[in-house]
Amino acid sequence: MVSDETFFAWLDGELDPAEAARVEMEVAADAKLSAMAKDHRAMQERLMRAFDPLLGAPLPNPLVAAVRNLPLAEVVDLADARARRQLRHWPSAPQWGAMAATLAIGVLIGTIVPHQHEAAPVEVQGGKMYATAAIDRALDRQLASAPPGDVRVGLTFRDREGAICRSFTASASSGLACRENGRWMLRGIFAAPEGQTTDYRMAGGMDPNLAALVDSTMAGQPFDAKAEEQARSRGWR
Amino acid sequence: MDRSLSFEDGLSALLPRLRRFAHTLSRSPADADDLTQATVERALRSKSQWEPGTRLDSWLYRIMRNLWIDTVRSRGRREDLHAPVEEAERLGEDPRNAIEASIDLAKAMAAMQRLPEEQREIVALILIEGFGYRECSEILGLPIGTVSSRLVRGRTALLQMMGE
Repeated sequence: MVSDETFFAWLDGELDPAEAARVEMEVAADAKLSAMAKDHRAMQERLMRAFDPLLGAPLPNPLVAAVRNLPLAEVVDLADARARRQLRHWPSAPQWGAMAATLAIGVLIGTIVPHQHEAAPVEVQGGKMYATAAIDRALDRQLASAPPGDVRVGLTFRDREGAICRSFTASASSGLACRENGRWMLRGIFAAPEGQTTDYRMAGGMDPNLAALVDSTMAGQPFDAKAEEQARSRGWR
Repeated sequence: MDRSLSFEDGLSALLPRLRRFAHTLSRSPADADDLTQATVERALRSKSQWEPGTRLDSWLYRIMRNLWIDTVRSRGRREDLHAPVEEAERLGEDPRNAIEASIDLAKAMAAMQRLPEEQREIVALILIEGFGYRECSEILGLPIGTVSSRLVRGRTALLQMMGE
């Protein structure tokens, strides 16, 4: 008589081949054990059918954001310091000047991402975050010199793998998206500090968390207006 | 740099599975998502403790399971950890509690909830998440014999609850 433990170890494929063959024969010769094997297999299948749809379900945005952005919270001070150092080498880029002003104020600690319930700037597909229509359109068409609209594009540059990345500011968030498989995939998105949305945005500053992300992503220098326009005409490749 | 990217990519890729495991442990989808989020946060904070080359999934499941045990304890639901299996079996004898062929997630979660904590985590890891006995014993820090005997009790109770 096979013990319960051995019976289930056989059912779960945990026995070595010789022992599995022995139990297999015993089960086949015993109607009660055969029925038990059938019932337990069916139960496991039903359990899996109930829980498996979660694997294909869209992830809640805060969850995806947590993965992408939490490390930044840890390194932001370090990266800030690095960004400040690098600023000295890029005195001419107006965006960086504005960023320096923002960083100097020191109170604008960007809230790490969305528990925001307004129209999401993010769309999650297969565990990756993409920009939604309005931002996607702005990233595709808009130049940094464009008059401020709902979405303002900031810096354009290449990352270490050579993909073009663009930072942007929307109504209550700012972020960084890079070109991947012909789409703008978000590398990070940050909610504006509570209550500071308008003034903060109008100052043209960059969220410190975003600044840190830009700093760690950028290879070389940000594009100037001409390079930005050329990149647009080549489809951001 | 590359290593940290691959850690986060690995974590991202495993998120759906972690979320499923959270649902097998938790009483509600909201609890499950809180648990998943807490696990992600803990994993990112403890990133340096993960040894590249070892299984990231086992490491993450262990973090989630330990956080879950902390949650259960802090809720003062200690009794759940050692709930007598008889209770689960008794519930299963009432045909109104039997679960029909087309069980949905809520029903499956409810059935899992009736298992004592110590059996539920093992049923979840082996029958739903597909880990082997040895992997399961490593995740939980239990001897394989304990995993095996709790699995027998858990799945037997569950079968009765689900109206076979």
